[in-house]
Amino acid sequence: MPILAVEGLTKRFGPNEVLKNVSLTLEAQEIRAICGENGAGKSTLVKIITGVHLADAGAVLVDGHPVEILNPQHAQQLGIALVAQELSLAPALSVLDNIWLGNREVPLFHRRKRFREQAQKALANVGLGDLPLETPVSQLSIARRQLVELARMLTRNARVFILDEPTATLSDVEIERIFSALRALKTEGKTVIYITHRLGEVFQICDSVTVLRNGELIGTRRTNEIDRANLMEMMLGRSLGEMYPEWNSEPGEPMLVVKNLAVPPIVQNFDLTAQRGMVICLAGQVGSGAIEVLRALAGLAYNATGDVRVAGKTLPLRSVAAAQDAKVQFISEDRAGEGVFLRLRVGWNLIATRLAEHSRFGMLAHDGLRAAAAETATAVGVDRARLRSQADELSGGNQQKLAFGRALGGDEPGVLLMNEPTRGVDVGARAEIYRLIRQFCNRGYCLVMASSDIEEVLGISDVIVSMYRGRRVATYRRGEADVHRVLADITHPVEAA
Amino acid sequence: MIRSLLLNPTARPFTVMAGSIVVLALIDRGTGFFFSMGTIFSVMQLFATFGLVALGLGLSILIREFDLSVAGIVGLAGCIAVMTGAANPWLGLLLGVGAGLLSGLIQGIIMTKLHLSSVGVTLGGLLTLQGMTYVLTDNKTIGYPNISVALDLNAPIAGLVSVRSAACLAVFVLAALVMNYTHIGRDVIATGSDRRAARVAGLNTDHVVIGVFAASGAFSALGGVLLSYSLSAASPVALADVLATAAAAAIVGGVSVVGGRGSPMGIAAGVLTLCILRSGLSAIGVEPHVHDLVTGFILIAIAFLDAPELFRRVTSWRLAHAERDAAQTKLQ
Amino acid sequence: MSNVSLRSGFLLGGIRARQIVLAVRILAGGALAIFALSTPGFTSPLSINSLLNAISFIGCVAVGMTFITITGNIMSLALGATVSASALVFLASLSLGVFPAFLVAVLFGVVITAVQGAMVGYIRANPLLVSIAGLSLLIGGAALATGGQRIYPGGEGLQAFKGRVAGIPIEALYFFATVVIGQFVLSWTRIGREMVMVGSNLRAAIAAGIDTARTITVAYMLAGAFSAVAGILLAARYGSGDMELGLGYDYTAIAAVLVGGTAIQGGSGSVVRTLIGVTVIAIIATVLLLRGFSQQWQYLITGLIVLAVIMLHTIGERR
Repeated sequence: MPILAVEGLTKRFGPNEVLKNVSLTLEAQEIRAICGENGAGKSTLVKIITGVHLADAGAVLVDGHPVEILNPQHAQQLGIALVAQELSLAPALSVLDNIWLGNREVPLFHRRKRFREQAQKALANVGLGDLPLETPVSQLSIARRQLVELARMLTRNARVFILDEPTATLSDVEIERIFSALRALKTEGKTVIYITHRLGEVFQICDSVTVLRNGELIGTRRTNEIDRANLMEMMLGRSLGEMYPEWNSEPGEPMLVVKNLAVPPIVQNFDLTAQRGMVICLAGQVGSGAIEVLRALAGLAYNATGDVRVAGKTLPLRSVAAAQDAKVQFISEDRAGEGVFLRLRVGWNLIATRLAEHSRFGMLAHDGLRAAAAETATAVGVDRARLRSQADELSGGNQQKLAFGRALGGDEPGVLLMNEPTRGVDVGARAEIYRLIRQFCNRGYCLVMASSDIEEVLGISDVIVSMYRGRRVATYRRGEADVHRVLADITHPVEAA
Repeated sequence: MIRSLLLNPTARPFTVMAGSIVVLALIDRGTGFFFSMGTIFSVMQLFATFGLVALGLGLSILIREFDLSVAGIVGLAGCIAVMTGAANPWLGLLLGVGAGLLSGLIQGIIMTKLHLSSVGVTLGGLLTLQGMTYVLTDNKTIGYPNISVALDLNAPIAGLVSVRSAACLAVFVLAALVMNYTHIGRDVIATGSDRRAARVAGLNTDHVVIGVFAASGAFSALGGVLLSYSLSAASPVALADVLATAAAAAIVGGVSVVGGRGSPMGIAAGVLTLCILRSGLSAIGVEPHVHDLVTGFILIAIAFLDAPELFRRVTSWRLAHAERDAAQTKLQ
Repeated sequence: MSNVSLRSGFLLGGIRARQIVLAVRILAGGALAIFALSTPGFTSPLSINSLLNAISFIGCVAVGMTFITITGNIMSLALGATVSASALVFLASLSLGVFPAFLVAVLFGVVITAVQGAMVGYIRANPLLVSIAGLSLLIGGAALATGGQRIYPGGEGLQAFKGRVAGIPIEALYFFATVVIGQFVLSWTRIGREMVMVGSNLRAAIAAGIDTARTITVAYMLAGAFSAVAGILLAARYGSGDMELGLGYDYTAIAAVLVGGTAIQGGSGSVVRTLIGVTVIAIIATVLLLRGFSQQWQYLITGLIVLAVIMLHTIGERR
């Protein structure tokens, strides 16, 4: 008897059909991956199963009985638990309190022995048996916090655990911790739905994988019956090559020279040389220091030290203004929090860094700004008609283009630093962004990017610098490395260079 | 060790309180003005006046909101009690506190159902409540005929506290018990620490917000009622600067303005600190304006120490300094 | 229908919402105008005069408060005390001459708020806490300096800030000047634009290379300057001053800012909106007075209307 099944599930948002007649079944003791590009329908499927949305057609079956899941509480009562990317733990509370937070079964006087014992047991089941219950969650690493959430779900008698991108921000040691917990859950008879972009993990931990594309179910396969390339083709519907534009790059003179860069506590003794007209990619997982290096070069790290030269001149660190003066522009990995002014107009977003250019004696020249905004919009492919819309009305991909537009300041091409440029961006916009990146290159910019997406790294860069725990592992020119090599470097390097 | 006592947010209110006692004792130099029963009594009387308001406001700050209306409720509740409690003081008390509870409920409901910021809603609430007070009292001070109530409330117990301040302490103790031993305390901290997370975890954060504002209203109302009874009068212009003092007391008391941290006992310590400073300083014979200066300095110090970017700025500055020195040595 | 859209039932989306909000605002404004104009005596010189007076004093402070709110620092509880203290400084410095006294008083206001702004801007100290500290220090400092006495003019020259010019009270002219200067800074200067961006998303502003610390400090300085102007006008009007002069101004000022439609979390709004907010509040108070409501009722009804308008603005802004 499948523990959970969906039959003919269809869901529409306005004119868009985001799920088209999707059916799948899940057995107990199964770890199933669900893969698909952004916009494929994964999150909608999950939202229907967890009671956030109601399907327009089709049925959800729990233990073989059709149910209409009315709200998230109902889903939990049915044993379906979601651990989202944004965790739902209150940092100021202890582990114990967080486990029981929001649980309706808890009486008013909640300091009872049985709750402690149950919490202890649940924690042991996920591998946190020796964590003191009183530890404030704020002191825990992200991986442990995720495990606490799993423990919470266990106390709510969850049978189906849905994990949404659980390892996006974890180091390899922490990932292994999560995997152990999942294997333990499987032994206990639970079912896990594992949503991820990281294809390597699919083969490491999951028994089977379901692929969605454009709202349709492409198929479900056992992981020991297919390989990565098959999986990618199922997901993309096309081979890897078409995503990334063809080009021939001619390296110019060295534009950016970094020596001995240190960004406590992660990055130490980091060196880098980057030429004009090239894309250099720092490949590394979260915690590898790749993102921190670029932030430091952009002037955003208050404690960075080192010797950095841009076009021969020394670049002072720890100051964004100095970086911008040296024509170093930055695109943040945190689009909503740092990259875009969501409640301001698109036009203002595009020229946020150009105010100085268009002002005399402190006063803004509005016509100059308007022209610059229109020009920039065209250059990055944003519809001019949207200039007066608020930025949060745009899709993630278009918002990312705003960030690119900002970096296009002035006539002289400089250095463009990009952290995870396609995070949270759907397929179509991704291809556009890769085209943009090459365009910038052709104009003479020097591009340095940090990415944890190996496909992307291999597809777009001229030079790959793999990083692990704050140090450079190896450097490869285009074509010298393959997926396995890079993956090995950023997860278990044999020796650090 | 002193540094950790000062910086540790849970210990700090008590450290500061102890510190102010020590400082005042030193200034006093054994003349006995400070360390006397009389001083303790007046400190506690002052505590009763501000304490409950600080408790209510502090709880609202704890959940990352701000109850501007507390000043208005203090006045209104006092007036309602005085006007309706002539024959039966308990009736006046009930109505006054009920009014505070109701005002907090209504504001809380408006805030949560319409997703409004508390600053705007409680600002409107403050103006409305003050207006109601003016209308009810016809802009005059209302006398309370039942003088015996005032006498009873202010009667000293063991020379240290009065019925009024004892009642106030009792409320604090009750609040502390609820926060520590019931899940309400956990829910309030969760709502203040990360409201979105708490909601996703299954907590009805709207209920928590409404409850906190209702409690804030009730506590402030109780404070206002007791004050009016003990003065045997209620005035529409009751406590003008109560907001600033209450907020200061709450923050000195360890309530974090970014939410999720604070406790009733900490708030009590904060209130006591400010009251000790005020009463103590006047007992020693220092002029009143010194209180404000001292309070101001303590608050500036806390604002400074708690400032999130302080460490980064200092580090950045230090590194720049070191780099300049290194560059100069290279030149030489 | 999904649960999500059911829950957000009565909220409208996007452009339609904005048009409806605009329509409601125009209607409300029209209703207010009709209500006001149909009130006997509203258009009389006496009532217009008192209206202008009420608007001018509070208005200057409200314009200052606008800058603090727009940069995302919610409000300052110290502006009222800044008004009073600047008034005292002005009166005391009159012995140096009118113009120097004006400069000294404004400089005083600027410095007081600059320190607060620097703490908020450079080390991100909590703005509410800093303003409460500032309030205490101002009150204590003033008591120390004046010994609790009222301050009387130290020289001649109050006439420059009293009376009328071409029938308009001079206070109104000064207020109008602050509105013009304030709105100019906000719309036409680079630092004004940066203030809006800082209020909209501080981290994004930092990443975009804006000197957010300086921007916030300047916003506070403007608040101090405009509050000082209000203090000078009040000192001229009453001929003497003490720390009670600016009492309660903070609340009315922030009410005016919010009624005008500036968002409490910052990143949007304008000085013109605050002008509208101040005017609306003053008109309501005047109309109520003229229609025979006692001062108590005025206060209450104004409070209710402020609450209603704030609710209305926010409902419209949500999507």
